[in-house]
Amino acid sequence: MILLHLFLVAITISSSFTIEVNPKIFINNAECLVDLSTQLVKGECRLSLENNDDKPVNSVLYAFEPSIKSHISFISAHQVFESNRLSLNVKPVILSGHEDKQFYQIDFNTSRPLRSKGRAPLVVEYVLINALYPHPEEITQKDRQLMMFYGNAYLYSPYKSLKSSVKFQTGTRRIEDYTNISPVSFLSSGDVVYGPFGSLEPFSYSQISLHYDNNTPFLKATKLIRTIELSHWGNVAVTDVIDLVHHGAKLKGSFSRYDYQRETNSGISSVKSFKMYLPASATSVYYRDVIGNISTSNQRTLLDSVELDIRPRFPLFGGWKTHYTIGYNVPAYEYLYNSGDDYFLKMRLIDHLYDNMIIEDVTVRIILPEGSVDLDLKTAHPIIRLPDGLHYTYLDTIGRPIIKLQMSNVVESHISDFELKYKFPKAFMFHEPLIVIVAIYILFLTVIIWVRLDFSIAKDGHSETRQRISGITSAIMHHFERRASIYSSWDDALNKLKHSKDVGTYNTASKQIQTDYKNESTSINELATKLKTESTELSDKLNEVQKAEKNLKELFGQTQSLYTDKLITGKVGRNQFVELDSGLKRKKDECQEKINQLLKALN
Amino acid sequence: MKTLLTNPAGWKSLITFAILFLAWVSGFSARLFAVIRFESIIHEFDPWFNYRATAYMVEHGFYNFLNWFDERAWYPLGRIVGGTVYPGLMVTSGAIHHILHALNIPVHIRDICVFLAPIFSGMTAISTYFLTKELWSPGAGLFACCFIAIVPGYISRSVAGSYDNEGIAIFALQFTYYLWVKSIKTGSVFWSVLTALSYFYMVSAWGGYVFIINLIPLHVFLLLIMGRYSYRLFTSYTVFYILGLVLSMQIPFVGFQPIRTSEHMAASGVFALVMAAGTFNYIQTRITKAEFKFIFIFATLVTSGIVLLAVIGLTWAGVIAPWSGRFYSLWDTTYAKIHIPIIASVSEHQPTTWFSFFFDLHILVCIFPAGLWYCIQEYNDERLFVVLYALSAVYFAGVMVRLMLTLTPAVCILSGIAFSKIFENYLKEDGPVTSNGTKTVEEKQPSKDKTPSKSSQSLSSGSGKSKKKPPTIASLNSDNSNGEGVGSNIRSIVTISMLLVLMMFVVHCTWVTSNAYSSPSIVLASFSNDGSRQILDDFREAYYWLSQNTDNDARVMSWWDYGYQIAGMANRTTLVDNNTWNNSHIALVGKAMSSTEPKAYEIMTSLDVDYVLVIFGGVIGYSGDDINKFLWMVRIAEGEHPKDIRESDYFTERGEFRIDSQGSPTMLNCLMYKLSYYRFGDLKLDFRTPAGFDRTRNAVIGNQNFDLTYLEEAYTTEHWLVRIYRVKKPDEFNRPRIPVLERKIRIPGASAISKKSARKKKGIIQGKPTVQKGKKPKATNTYTNGL
Repeated sequence: MILLHLFLVAITISSSFTIEVNPKIFINNAECLVDLSTQLVKGECRLSLENNDDKPVNSVLYAFEPSIKSHISFISAHQVFESNRLSLNVKPVILSGHEDKQFYQIDFNTSRPLRSKGRAPLVVEYVLINALYPHPEEITQKDRQLMMFYGNAYLYSPYKSLKSSVKFQTGTRRIEDYTNISPVSFLSSGDVVYGPFGSLEPFSYSQISLHYDNNTPFLKATKLIRTIELSHWGNVAVTDVIDLVHHGAKLKGSFSRYDYQRETNSGISSVKSFKMYLPASATSVYYRDVIGNISTSNQRTLLDSVELDIRPRFPLFGGWKTHYTIGYNVPAYEYLYNSGDDYFLKMRLIDHLYDNMIIEDVTVRIILPEGSVDLDLKTAHPIIRLPDGLHYTYLDTIGRPIIKLQMSNVVESHISDFELKYKFPKAFMFHEPLIVIVAIYILFLTVIIWVRLDFSIAKDGHSETRQRISGITSAIMHHFERRASIYSSWDDALNKLKHSKDVGTYNTASKQIQTDYKNESTSINELATKLKTESTELSDKLNEVQKAEKNLKELFGQTQSLYTDKLITGKVGRNQFVELDSGLKRKKDECQEKINQLLKALN
Repeated sequence: MKTLLTNPAGWKSLITFAILFLAWVSGFSARLFAVIRFESIIHEFDPWFNYRATAYMVEHGFYNFLNWFDERAWYPLGRIVGGTVYPGLMVTSGAIHHILHALNIPVHIRDICVFLAPIFSGMTAISTYFLTKELWSPGAGLFACCFIAIVPGYISRSVAGSYDNEGIAIFALQFTYYLWVKSIKTGSVFWSVLTALSYFYMVSAWGGYVFIINLIPLHVFLLLIMGRYSYRLFTSYTVFYILGLVLSMQIPFVGFQPIRTSEHMAASGVFALVMAAGTFNYIQTRITKAEFKFIFIFATLVTSGIVLLAVIGLTWAGVIAPWSGRFYSLWDTTYAKIHIPIIASVSEHQPTTWFSFFFDLHILVCIFPAGLWYCIQEYNDERLFVVLYALSAVYFAGVMVRLMLTLTPAVCILSGIAFSKIFENYLKEDGPVTSNGTKTVEEKQPSKDKTPSKSSQSLSSGSGKSKKKPPTIASLNSDNSNGEGVGSNIRSIVTISMLLVLMMFVVHCTWVTSNAYSSPSIVLASFSNDGSRQILDDFREAYYWLSQNTDNDARVMSWWDYGYQIAGMANRTTLVDNNTWNNSHIALVGKAMSSTEPKAYEIMTSLDVDYVLVIFGGVIGYSGDDINKFLWMVRIAEGEHPKDIRESDYFTERGEFRIDSQGSPTMLNCLMYKLSYYRFGDLKLDFRTPAGFDRTRNAVIGNQNFDLTYLEEAYTTEHWLVRIYRVKKPDEFNRPRIPVLERKIRIPGASAISKKSARKKKGIIQGKPTVQKGKKPKATNTYTNGL
């Protein structure tokens, strides 16, 4: 509040010409409507201004009473011409001699000044906060909440007014008391109307008080920290951290859950839940606090917004506080525009928290992608811009620029877009994927180097030899396997020969087998010589295998000769052949078994 | 490429790696039920303290954490946190947090804490693999690794959110044992130094390190008396003992305990023994047998006598502390019930039932004796270790439910060995297997169904290889190999039934994890008739109310179970908490809870209590509430204040504990009763039951219409689960009500002197007791407010 005022004062001083009340202007007719039915005081004054001066007037003044000065949160003015609404520029000014009051200068559109001897309609809207006082200040759970409003029976204006009336809307018929100033009327709708009054001097003031029932939620966000994190990969993450307090009449005495559950009127001024509206494209909404997710909330997607039914963990009675975080994602294409390296972000600086909200202290942090430069921010309402900072998150190296702003005493009327222009080199998009790629590459490289190179301090000759030997033996095993398959194919060929008695085919097959066998044998012999240099023990074993293998080969040779020389030529009788054949077969099997055993030992 | 595919060693390591990785992943994901069903949140009681301490350390730095005096606990005593915790857990997650933040990865410390235990369970699985591999074979190791990844006995302590010491301690335990086995095998100083370092980590993480420091000496002792003394043993034990001793004393909480308490004496005794054995071994090489025999007997007698006398003398002199109570309760199961009710009151300190053995271990509990038998049959140095490990862990698990945790890894190792052996016998296709490589591949087949999806591909191709390979050599003699061993029918029956058993084990593990061990317990879920889930978030509702709407230094009295949660979630000062170090303080709270309101008020004012928090499950039928725990409060209070509190007063004449109209008057008028049932007598829950029907105890409460004089209801959660009362200040209830007409209001500014003088004229005595109807005269003494 104070900061905002200082800021406003600074603006006023900077416009360095003196402002005075033009006595030639007067208000022809004024109708003011002050809505007191919520926690806000919402005023709307329809003025009909007349200029008695000789020259046209470009601006008029609007004044607030000294007692209200500190409660003003928002003011705007517009004119209606042929059902067209024309917003006017409003700025706070200071008048010498009237420092206690708050003045706003309303500038007419340059094409439509208030002409000499002319009339012009003007609508001024304003919102006051914290202008209602609970009376009594403390109530028990079963009591109703009564509010006291102190205001002015007359239109407060620096100009003379000819006819005016002020209507206070309370929204309830339960009015305890109101100040009686003639003429006053109490309408059945619960409205209190002061006036119409005749001619009134400038700054007429007569304090009135209204004491009435007001059980609408008196919630005040004492602090809002809003973080807008933009990613060029297509997402905007918004996080609101909110401190909420019920600033109505404080709860006196005990809270009884029994009464609260059984009686509908119990705790009527307490707030059980409220609604919050998010942008229609909001996804993955979360509602949590420091100890986790708050499970008592509902989300409904409407046509133009996402409605969150927020229920704090506990009902908020007068004076009770809570603290929570709301977060959601929106797609960036709805808010981010770009041409080349120039980007333009346009989205809401603050958003709806709950109906008729009051936020005392707002901090907005806008986090832009890493590498953004030349930031240029425009907002609709005055803000305090804090020095920019840097924010580090996933894969950041130079940090993301972060814009920090502050506002205070914000109400719903302040919700508006900000516009942020910045430059971002497109090539920077590949910065982070590259980091990941390089990191993984380095990891693999390190593993490769670690595995391939020997980093041990002492040379372990023993294990090296062992490794070499195991390499050779596995190669030998491999060759033995191949040779075993050669044997089996030889076996097949022999069997075929036995049945078909076709020596020609057998010979061609045999030739192939013999060459293969020779190849394998030479390889094995080469390896055997190598092995001999490494380990004599294994080499001996291998020799045994070789010996057994030679036997096997001989046996095969015998079988072959048996078939080709005796069976085919018919030199041997049937029975004798079978006997010989099975004898050879048994020997072969024995031999193979022996080889297998030996190989196993070799391993 | 061809060489890579045909190289069995390559396949072997690829499959091993894949299985270990998948065991880690499946173990990790099995622990995420609670996170998926609820949210990423810290569970239960103790984890809240660990989380709070970790958050403090992350915020204030390690040294400030070591020096942290927590004035929010044990009011008005406070607690020196740095000196009374095992900091390993906090340091571990703090280090992870530090590294991640140094890399600009802004993970919240809570998420690290939540996921720490699942990550470490993966590391436990890996170290179990290595340990079993050292003990038996890589195949058995893979089995054990898969078992421990999903076994409920371990999952119960390491689900996501269960941020407790055990989560990382089991890893440290297994890893220390692996390193110990490794150093026993190699006798290398390198491995024993690593053992000592790992032991140091274990000491920093969990009080269960005592298990290690007794088991390893026991192992060494067994090897000595079996005559298996070797230089390997000498090197590894001496290095481990000296380094481990010095390192363990660096933990502030442990301090000088390793040399001053009886729990640690076995280790030093065995150290002396190993030294003696070394000496004799040396002497033996120098002198003749007869001389040696004489020296040996003489020296043995003298040294053992001296050592025994020294230990007894030191214990007597108070230098060595005798066994602690908790340790006694391990040997004598009834000890705690008689002497330390506070230990007996904890459900996890109860003896284990047979049911829970099967529930937590399923088939493993049946099969692990087979593994144990194999280890005994083919024993060597390191297998003796696992035998000792299993036997002692079985004993401890039988004594206390929570020590099931130490049994689980041993059971997994031994079952892995047993299964590996079974499959080795029955899965061999034909003939002798040629190489080690193929052997392991075959053994690994069954674990296919535990490690789904991706692995099956690599596995089936791997096993396909293994089937193809042996026949090339063995095909020629296939005829006669069938004659020996078992028939192929029996082989396949055994294999398939074993696979089915393993499958059922997996199903059981998942079921148990999902149903029994995945509830955060601070968020309750119930299912309504139409199947929709309702979340009862009353605990957090109450704690958050406390944190937001009470004074920052408000003192909350509750039973000690909720101390850590109040400190962690509500950030308020508590009187007692789950670190039950001060029995008399707890007894005082128990006394307050079990006394009448006026007496309790005296205790509460003496303890500066602002709020009292009770858990009441009568509305929703929550059985773990304070009334059900009430008898323990009475018992603990009786232990310290036997004159004021007697357990028998709270029972009916027939010895029943009742809350209905039959209940004993002491019970119906004690503070706990009143706080739980305040205004509950008016509440009608449904049409079938009368007003004031307690759903937990299925009875209509006996004392229905009462008012509280000294306390007022401050907050009750939506389902009445947590009720918070504010303790009134003396001026709030001692004030008699004055009729409106008689009230005298002092208007500020108006002269008070004239009034006084007027009174004086009437002859009114100042401070005169005004007797009010229906009020005790004592109460009016402080009526001076009008003046």
